[in-house]
Amino acid sequence: MLETLQNLLLGFSVAFTPAVLLYAFVGCLIGTVVGVLPGIGPLAGISLLLPASFGLNATNAIVMLAGIYYGAMYGGSTTSILMRIPGEAASVITCIDGYAMARKGRAGAALAIAAVGSYFAGTVSVVLLMFLAPPLASFALRFGPPEYFALLLLGLLVLAYMSSGSMLKALAMAAFGLLLGMIGIDQMTGYFRFAYGVVELGDGIGVVPVAVGLFGLSEILATAGQEKPPEVLKPKLKELLPTRTEWRQSAMPIGRGTLLGFLIGIIPGSAHIISSFVSYAVERRFSKTPEEFGRGAVAGVAGPESANNAATSGAFVPMLALGVPSGPIPAVMLAAMMVHGVSPGPLLFRQQPELVWGFIASMYVGNVMLLVLNLPLVGLFVNLLRVPYPLLYPSIIAFCILGVYAVNGSVVDVWIMLVMGVVGYVLRKLEFETAPIVLGVILAPMLEMALRQSLAMSDGHYAIFLTRPIATTLLAVGAILVLLSLRPLITRGMDWRARLALAEKGEKG
Amino acid sequence: MTLARRTALLLLLTLAATVAGVPADEPYPSRPISLVAPFPPGGVADQTARPVAASMEKVLKSPVGVVNKTGAAGAVGMQFVATSKPDGYSLLLALSSISIIPEADKIFDRKPAFTVDQFEPIALISADPTILVVPANKPWKTAKEFIEDARKNPGRISYSSSGIYGTLHMAMELLSQAADIKLRHVPFSGGGPAVTAILGGHVDALASGPSVVLPHIKAGTLRALAGWGDKRIAALADVPTFKELGYPDAEFYIWAGVFAPRGTPEPVLAKLRETLKQVVADQEFKGAMDKLETPIVFKQGADFQKFFEADARRLAEGVRRVGRIETK
Repeated sequence: MLETLQNLLLGFSVAFTPAVLLYAFVGCLIGTVVGVLPGIGPLAGISLLLPASFGLNATNAIVMLAGIYYGAMYGGSTTSILMRIPGEAASVITCIDGYAMARKGRAGAALAIAAVGSYFAGTVSVVLLMFLAPPLASFALRFGPPEYFALLLLGLLVLAYMSSGSMLKALAMAAFGLLLGMIGIDQMTGYFRFAYGVVELGDGIGVVPVAVGLFGLSEILATAGQEKPPEVLKPKLKELLPTRTEWRQSAMPIGRGTLLGFLIGIIPGSAHIISSFVSYAVERRFSKTPEEFGRGAVAGVAGPESANNAATSGAFVPMLALGVPSGPIPAVMLAAMMVHGVSPGPLLFRQQPELVWGFIASMYVGNVMLLVLNLPLVGLFVNLLRVPYPLLYPSIIAFCILGVYAVNGSVVDVWIMLVMGVVGYVLRKLEFETAPIVLGVILAPMLEMALRQSLAMSDGHYAIFLTRPIATTLLAVGAILVLLSLRPLITRGMDWRARLALAEKGEKG
Repeated sequence: MTLARRTALLLLLTLAATVAGVPADEPYPSRPISLVAPFPPGGVADQTARPVAASMEKVLKSPVGVVNKTGAAGAVGMQFVATSKPDGYSLLLALSSISIIPEADKIFDRKPAFTVDQFEPIALISADPTILVVPANKPWKTAKEFIEDARKNPGRISYSSSGIYGTLHMAMELLSQAADIKLRHVPFSGGGPAVTAILGGHVDALASGPSVVLPHIKAGTLRALAGWGDKRIAALADVPTFKELGYPDAEFYIWAGVFAPRGTPEPVLAKLRETLKQVVADQEFKGAMDKLETPIVFKQGADFQKFFEADARRLAEGVRRVGRIETK
C-alpha cells in the first residue's frame, strides 16, 4: 500500500512534467475527435498516429496513445446521442437510449451524463488498475478459449434485454447478424466463406460499417422519407444539465458499469465493445421501469458509457503487468513500446517504474482533462441539432463515408455501410430492431472461434466446458438466467415484456 | 493532420500511378516511392518497413512512405503490389507468408490472389529464427524429451499459433515433419493471442519469434527448448538448434524482405539494390532494428534468390502436407 503510494508519487512527478502533460492533452484531444467522427475508432486513430509517435520518447508516446484510446470512449457517445451514429463500436448501444433522449430534448443531459459517467469510470478503474494489476493479470490469463466461449454465450443472452418489442423479431435479427458474422476466412481451416472472390471480404464484415449503416444511415433515410420534416430542436441552456432525477437514476448504473467494464476489460478479447452491451442488459434487468429502455432511459446511457471507459483501463492490466495484449489496441501500444526499446513483459513494473507509474498517473490527469474538455463541448455539440436538416444530413452522410473509408482504406467497407443503410431502412419500416444484428456481427466470429478452439484443445470433447471452474460457473449463471426467464410460464405472473406488450396495446387502442 | 497528409499522399500516389505520363528517360526516383506493408501498424512488417523507409529516404534523397495495405492475412497488400505498375514506385515489404498464401490458395482450388513469380526479390532485410517454448511448469526440460513424449502420445501435446497456415503454424509443422511427430494445433488470430494462450497454460507449446518471448523466458514463466535457425541465438546461447539435434529440415525464419513487381526495369532494380545495401549499413537503421531485437540479415541478388526459393520450397511442402483441413 505504502509502496504503491510512493510509486504513484513518482508517477505524478513524471505525469506533471510539461512534456507529458502536453502529450496527454494531445492524446485526449485526438481521442475525442476520433471518437466523435463516425467510423474512425480508437484502433484506427492509434494506428494512424503510431508512426508519428516514433519520434517521441517512450513515456510520451505511450501516454499519448493511451489518451487516444480512452479519449475516444468519451467522444464516441456524442454522435450516438445526437444523430444515432455510433462514433466507435463501443458506443453502438448508446445509440438506442441516447438518441431517444435527444429526441425528447434531453440531448444535453445525455451528453453530460455520458461525460461524467466516463470520468467516474475512468478514474475509479485507474485506482483498481493501480492496486490490483498483478493479481488480476494472472486471473485474466486463466481466461482461455473455453472461458471466453462461456462469457460470450452469456453475452448472447443479453439479447433478451435488448429489444422492447417482439422476441421473435429480435431473434430473427440476431440470427441475421450471426450469419453476417460468418462471412470471411474460416480461421480454423482457412476456407473463404461467402467471399465470392472478393479478397477484402476475407476479413469478414466489420462492425463499424454495419453499425454506422444500420443506425445512422437508416435514420437519415427514414427522416428524409417523412411527409413533413421533423422539427429542428432548439435546446435551451437550462435544459443542457441533467435534472436531479436523472442524476439519481444514473448513479447506480455508473457504479455498476464501472465495475463490470473493468472486469470484462481485463479479459483478453475485444472486451470494451461487449462490456457496453452487457452493462445495458444488466441495467435493464435491475431497472424498476424496464419498459422505458429504448425510449430514452438515462440508465441506458450511463451504464454502457461508464462500462466502455472502465474497460479501457481494464485492458491495460495484462498489458502492464505481463506484457501481453488483451486486444488489438493494447497490441499496437506494446509495439510502440518495442520501437522505443522498452521490452514489455512481466518485469516491466520493476524495470521501468517511471514509464509505468508515469503512465498510470497520466491517466488520472487525462481523465480530468477530458471532463474539462467534454462538458463545455456539450453546449457546442447540442447546437449541431439546430442545423437545418437539408444541410446537416448530407454532411453527416459524407462524414460517415469518409470515416468508414479511412479505417482500412477499403471501398468495400463503404459499400457494406451503404447496403446496410438500405437494409436498416427497410427493416425499420417493417418494425424490426437493428441492434441485435450488430450484436450478432460482433459475437459470431468470436463465439465460433472460441468454441472451435476449445474443442481443438480438448480433441473434440465437450466436457472441457464442465471441467474448468471459470467456464462452468459462467455457463451455470447463463443457465440460471434462462430458467429465470421461464418463470412466468410456471407462475403465470407477467414479466416486464408482457406488461410492456399490454401497455403498448393500450396505447394503440 | 497525419491522416490528411497520408490520405493526400496516397491519393497523389494512386493518381500518379494511374495517369502516369512518365517519360522513359526520367531519372529514378523523381517522385515519392510507396513501400507497402501488408499488415497493420505495429506488426513485424510495419515495424521493419518504417526504419527501412526512413533510411531509403536518406539514401535516395527522395520521399519514401510506408503504406499499410492490410487484409486477408496480407493477401490484399501483396496483391496490390503484384498488380501495380512495375516502375519502382510501389514496393512491397513482405514476410515469409508471401510464399505460403499462394500455396494455400492452390490447396483450396481457388484463383490465387497473386503468385510468387509476380515479384522481383530485391533484398532480404532480416531473418529471425523461431524458437520452441513451453510453460515452465511442463515436464519437458529438453527438446529431446519433448519429441519423445510427442512420439509416445501422438496428438496429445497442443500448441498455439498465429493462425492456420500462418508463420508460427508452419514452423511447428516443419518440426512435426522432420521429427515425425503429431501435435495438436490450436490456431489463434495473431501472434499476440498465441503468446497469451501459452502464458495462460491453455496450450503446451509455441513456436515464436525470440524477441516476443524473451522477457517471459527471463522471468521464468516459459522455457526455451530449441531453435529453428542454422545458428544459436545470441541471447539464448545454451538453447540448441534443431539442426544440432539432428533435424536439419526443421529450419524456419520469420524474415522480412523488399520486393518489386516483376517487370521493373533493370536500372531501377540496380538502384534499389544499391540503396538497400546502404540502408542496412546505416547506423540509425541498425539502432532501430536493435531496439526491436531483430537481427539484420542482408542478402540480395543470387543469394536472396536462393534463400527465398529454398524457403518457399520448404513452406510449399509444409502447406501441402497440412493439406486441406476437413472437418469431421
